Amino acid sequence: MATAKRFNAPSLLQWIGLITVACLVLPTSYIIYVALTAAPAVWSRLWSTRIPELLWNTLSLATSVAVTTCMLGVSLALIMVRYEFPGRRIWEWAIVLPLAMPTYVLAYVYAHLFGTGGPAEQWWQAFMGSEARLLSPHSFAGVTLIMALDTFPFVYLLTRSALLTLNVSFEEVARACGVSPWATLWRVILPLIRPAIAAGLALVIVYVVSDFGAVSLLRYQTLTYAVYQQMTGRYDQSAASILSLLLVVMALVFLVTERWGRRRSRFYQTSGRYRTPTRRLGGPVKAVLITTYVLLVFGTAFGIPAFMLIHWSLTSVSQGALDARFFGFVWNSSVLSALAAGSAVLIGLPLAYLASRRPSRLNIACLQAAYAGYALPGPVTALAVLLLFTHFVPALYGSVVVLVVAYVLHFIPVGLQSLEPALQQVTPNVEEVARTLGCTTRQTFRRVTLPLIQNGCITASVLVFLQTMKELPATLLLRPVGFDTLAIRVWLEASEEYYQLAAPSALLIVLLSVPALLLLVSKDWRGRHQGVVT
Amino acid sequence: MASPARAIVALTFFLGALSVVQLATASAADKLVVYSGRAERLIKPVLDEFQSKSGIQVEVLSSGTTELVNRLQAEGEHTPADVFLTNDAGSLEHARELKLLRSMNMREVERAIPSQFRASDNSWIGLSGRFWIVVYNTTLVKADQIKSLLDLSQPQWKDKIAIPNSGSEYLQAGVSVIKATFGDERTKQFLQGLKTNAGAQVYQKSSQIVEAVAKGQVAVGIVNHYYIYRHLAAQPTSPIAALMPDQQEGGMGAIMNVSGIGVTRASKHVDNAKLLIEFLVAQAGQKLFADLDKEYPLHSDVKADPALVDRHTFRTAPVPLARLAELREPTLTLIEQVGLH
Repeated sequence: MATAKRFNAPSLLQWIGLITVACLVLPTSYIIYVALTAAPAVWSRLWSTRIPELLWNTLSLATSVAVTTCMLGVSLALIMVRYEFPGRRIWEWAIVLPLAMPTYVLAYVYAHLFGTGGPAEQWWQAFMGSEARLLSPHSFAGVTLIMALDTFPFVYLLTRSALLTLNVSFEEVARACGVSPWATLWRVILPLIRPAIAAGLALVIVYVVSDFGAVSLLRYQTLTYAVYQQMTGRYDQSAASILSLLLVVMALVFLVTERWGRRRSRFYQTSGRYRTPTRRLGGPVKAVLITTYVLLVFGTAFGIPAFMLIHWSLTSVSQGALDARFFGFVWNSSVLSALAAGSAVLIGLPLAYLASRRPSRLNIACLQAAYAGYALPGPVTALAVLLLFTHFVPALYGSVVVLVVAYVLHFIPVGLQSLEPALQQVTPNVEEVARTLGCTTRQTFRRVTLPLIQNGCITASVLVFLQTMKELPATLLLRPVGFDTLAIRVWLEASEEYYQLAAPSALLIVLLSVPALLLLVSKDWRGRHQGVVT
Repeated sequence: MASPARAIVALTFFLGALSVVQLATASAADKLVVYSGRAERLIKPVLDEFQSKSGIQVEVLSSGTTELVNRLQAEGEHTPADVFLTNDAGSLEHARELKLLRSMNMREVERAIPSQFRASDNSWIGLSGRFWIVVYNTTLVKADQIKSLLDLSQPQWKDKIAIPNSGSEYLQAGVSVIKATFGDERTKQFLQGLKTNAGAQVYQKSSQIVEAVAKGQVAVGIVNHYYIYRHLAAQPTSPIAALMPDQQEGGMGAIMNVSGIGVTRASKHVDNAKLLIEFLVAQAGQKLFADLDKEYPLHSDVKADPALVDRHTFRTAPVPLARLAELREPTLTLIEQVGLH
């Protein structure tokens, strides 16, 4: 297969890429600087007390959530793409809805339902006696399940779109050679969609490691939660920086490994004979089994929490929760999220393009560096941005701009994760043809590449929009006076145990996120996508 | 160029322009920006009352106390904040040491608030008193089982207590008082015992501790007194009660802290801030401020909510409030040595 052509002279694009990365890396470097210059006493104290436990908690949680989401996401993607069952068209998009549900909302709903003295426990004890206990949402397994239920759609979405664009011919060859369906799955299909699964899992792991909302409500001590506690409880930020440095190192090791794994398995769709795989019609037993499974996952990840939110919202709305202030929060959230989404795509595109079309060491390093921001926990991004702004551009401090910068830093990897595969899927041959037909590099990009990756751009901005809408710690620390968002309201009310008052804001976050999500899975989008590939 | 890509670009620039406009119109004339370390619910009614009386537009940013000190320090002279309101005297004293606050010499304050509840130069002023005490589940524990906070580090309370996380200013201030009274060794033993006994029952919010005690998840918790009364006001039949610890012969006395107010050095609305302070230290303001959160008013002529334990029936640990600031760093070192969450 053809590799991308290399260009030697540093172009304008190259400069844009370099400057962008410099800006993205600045806050991270600042944290590393503070951590490395911290007093040795702080280091030794942290090593002997907190770090081993926090590392173990964080790594074990990330692993268990990754395994769980892999099973959920891949199995659901296979079911949706390969089987026909009643309501399949609805389930295909409905199963993505948990992405609209922030982890802290899921956490607070389940902490209430399954916590000590909660409705689920009372019901259980009515049957099993007063000493019976359910799985605690605060336990390792409880936290794992809650996080996995919230993040498996990342794996599902990427696996599903890989399956949809997978050429069915490979599979047919295997089947014609007498390989059983199971063996075909393991030996042909899964290896072919492995890059997609890996990309999904990468999102999940980074998400879990940098999550603040759920672990804080469930009181599960991870590195990120500890960073927030150190930051908000101490005047001296060196301990927080040291813990953050660990997170950065972990993120780098992880991303390099993941990228290395993906580089070894790069596939291009050789077009011409592309056909959509036919869906299998199972018997009634299979249909019931599949429906039960899908219903169970959907119900626990979205149905039940959404029902509770609606129930609580109705109560608090009847008490007058929908006032002018509330609509102010709605406006704030929408503006911030849209700004962050647009900026992240505009800033991410040059980086992704450079890394995939001119994969020099420098450009790949730039892309890798851009990923660091996501695993840098929200609170630390916030502090770094705050200090940088007050030092260099004080006039902008306390404005929306600061917050958007933090969002872009934090969520640009989410965008890159969609932009990159989109660019990789466009075979460089198409661009080379355009070049041989006399287009300049710029014309080629505008007339060939951009239309082809348009869907990737949309996916990227939708994902960034969703993440920003849900973002908590950086918003908490950087919000301008009088600029509370919906997420802030949920957190303020829920952390004071006012579950019902938190519900309208939480419900609205979910409702605002849903149309954006639907864009991701809409049939129209997929149809055009295929039309482009074939 | 593809139209959705164009739409993204257009929308981003439009919103960017919009936010800049918002930024430009943000600095109105007759207003007061309050950074509040106490929950918005507990401060907003008081500030709303002030706003309607004075006509001054009040904007509040509610967040963690220490977080706000860090923010004030980072923002320096660019801070939009005029007033800093917190629930911990140590944090206010620390802000004073960082030269973030300005000295406010007002006759109204000197008349209303006793001097032990103010900074030496009046750069912060206490507004209400709170006590770090024991909440217990009345079906699981009898009141005479606990005499002192230090009892809770005994092995008999294993897996039966809930504590706040070590980032909480109440815990830091409480441990500081214990350290000042009993010395490092006893304090370390106490913290070690708390850590072992609490296990995973370490909470971010005191309201969650009261909740856990009410549900019987744990038997005993350490919280600020008003969380207990707030819970009881909402659920009068809840099986919990407050216990004022360390009142025995020769005991330390209850651990007290104050919530207070300071005016930032960078404030451009000092006159407005003065009006707010006058409002808060006056009898009506004191009553409103204290009752809203079931705290003890500091104005000697204002009576506390009758539901609370009578202020004259218990003793307070004799550690000056201003010392909380200097005690904090060594206390944090102790807390970290023990490895409290």
